[in-house]
Formats: sequence, C-alpha cells, structure tokens
Amino acid sequence: MKTNIPLSFRIYELLLVAYPCEFRDEYGPLMAQLFRDRYRDEATKHKLAILLYWCVVVNDLVVTAFKEHAEKRKGDGFMNNLRRDLIGLSASAAIAVAAFALLSYGRSNEVSAILVFGRILDAVATAGIIGNIVVFLLARITKWDPLRIALWTFLIVNLVPAIVLALVGPKIDPQFRLTATLTSYVVSFLFWFSLHYAWHSAGRNALAKS
Amino acid sequence: MAKDRNPDDFLPLTPAMFHILLALADQDRHGYEIMREVDERTAGKVRLGPGTLYGSIKRMLGDELIEELDERPDPEMDDERRRYYRLSGFGRRVAVAEAERLAALVKVARTKKLLSVHRV
Repeated sequence: MKTNIPLSFRIYELLLVAYPCEFRDEYGPLMAQLFRDRYRDEATKHKLAILLYWCVVVNDLVVTAFKEHAEKRKGDGFMNNLRRDLIGLSASAAIAVAAFALLSYGRSNEVSAILVFGRILDAVATAGIIGNIVVFLLARITKWDPLRIALWTFLIVNLVPAIVLALVGPKIDPQFRLTATLTSYVVSFLFWFSLHYAWHSAGRNALAKS
Repeated sequence: MAKDRNPDDFLPLTPAMFHILLALADQDRHGYEIMREVDERTAGKVRLGPGTLYGSIKRMLGDELIEELDERPDPEMDDERRRYYRLSGFGRRVAVAEAERLAALVKVARTKKLLSVHRV
C-alpha cells in the first residue's frame, strides 16, 4: 500500500490544474498538504477507505473547480469580454471575406487595379482567417496577454507561408516573384497586428473610462 | 467596516461555512484540524474535501468572517507551511445569527411534531 501513496499524491497535485490559476497559486499547496494528511489517516483504516476517500475527493474537485471558475468568470466580466472578442472575430472574418471577394472579382473580371494588389489580398485573407481564429481561442483559454498572442500568432501565420513559398515557389512557378510574395506577407502582418493593437488600445481606454 | 454590516445579510450560511465557523469557535486551527474537528463532531457524516474547505475559507476571508493568523500557536510543534485561522468578531456574530436561525427552525419542527421534545 505504501508504494501507492506517492503516486496518489502526485495524481492529486496534477488534478489541481482544474482550478483557476489564482486559486491554485494561493491554496494549491495547502490543499495538497490536506490531501496527504487525510490520505495517511485513511490508509491506516482499510483498503476500501482509500477508494472511498478518492471518490469524495474527485467529487469535491469537480464541484468546487467548476464553482471557482464560475466565480472567477463573474469577477472578470467574462460575458462582456466574450461579446467583445466575438465582435472582433466577426469583424476580422468580414475583412478576410471582403479581401477574398475583392480578389475573386478582380481575377474573374481582370481588373488590373485589384490584381496589382492580388498577392497582398491573398495574404491578408489567408493569414486573417487562420490567425484570428488562433488568437480568439488562445485569448479565451489562456491567461496570456492578448496583444502578445496577436503579435506571435500573426508573426507565425505570415512567416511560415512566406518561407514555404520562398523555398517552393521558384520550383513550381517559373514566374514566381519572391519580393512581391514577401512584401505581401509583411503587409499582411502589419495590417492584422495594427488592427489588433488598435482594438486592444480601444478596449483599454474604454476600461479606464468605466 | 464589520460594524456597519448586518450578520443576517450572510444567512443562510452554507453547511460547510457554518461547520468551519463552529470549528473555529473555541480555538484557532489550521485546515487539517478544521477538517478533523468537523469529521469527529459529525461522526463522519460531514466530510469536507480540500476544495470545499479552502474554497469556503477563501470566501470567508474575503467577507472577514475569519482571519489568517500571523503568529503560530505553537511554532515548535508545528509544520510552518500550515496556515492558521481564527474566528473574527463579525464572524462570531454571523455564527450566532445562523445558530439562532437553525434553533428557530428546530422549534418549528417540534411544534409540528416532526421532532420529539427529547430529541435534538
């Protein structure tokens, strides 16, 4: 039985990730200590006592972790943030769709004024759709700074295709233009990051006023 | 601040909160002592899990029903990682108000013959 004790302790410590991180930082070590103390008491009874104790602990963990998250969301104004993020995501999707539509129109009607910016529209639409979904999800499920998330996400979603195209493009398309491709992804990065920076600043100003 | 507050505003307490206040009514205790006291007093019928205990403690500290002690009752005998808690003056008033509320309910149950006179 003794060999199982450290494993149970480690499992419980791992399960503590279910709680919001502020709560875990403040009370996690105390809860782990309490679990160990109680576990040792139960271990002196009978084998079934440990199993029953685990049932109590898991039930307690599920109920109270949910409660702590609900309380934290209430304090954070979760629904207001969610609404704001969804507005941002919808606006970004609209911009990306508009870029695609404009590009398609330019190609089908051979509008030279649009085709000049074809690569840029292509990069803005592609990086916009992928990048904004990633930013939205990361901002929802992590505690990272949203502006930093946007910076790194748009850096990656623009840099990766730019590098891939720079390497593969000349081999598959003899008329491939490296400078134009790289420029389009730089413009796409600057466009999306500037938009997120403006959105972030506007949100901070609104918060300061309230 | 506590003087301006009405204990009745905190009623009814959750069972966990009332048990914690009862455990701290006669002495300062750390989390594990509170858990054991509740367990022994209720003959194992109320078992506070770690999340329930520290979730309640967090809320009770926020409402100033209990306070965390800076000094340790017996530093030589104790693990310094433990935190001790004490019932605040306002917390005692809330505990009294909750006990009176429950006593009034028990009285009603007696008049309705749901409880015998001798049975508590």
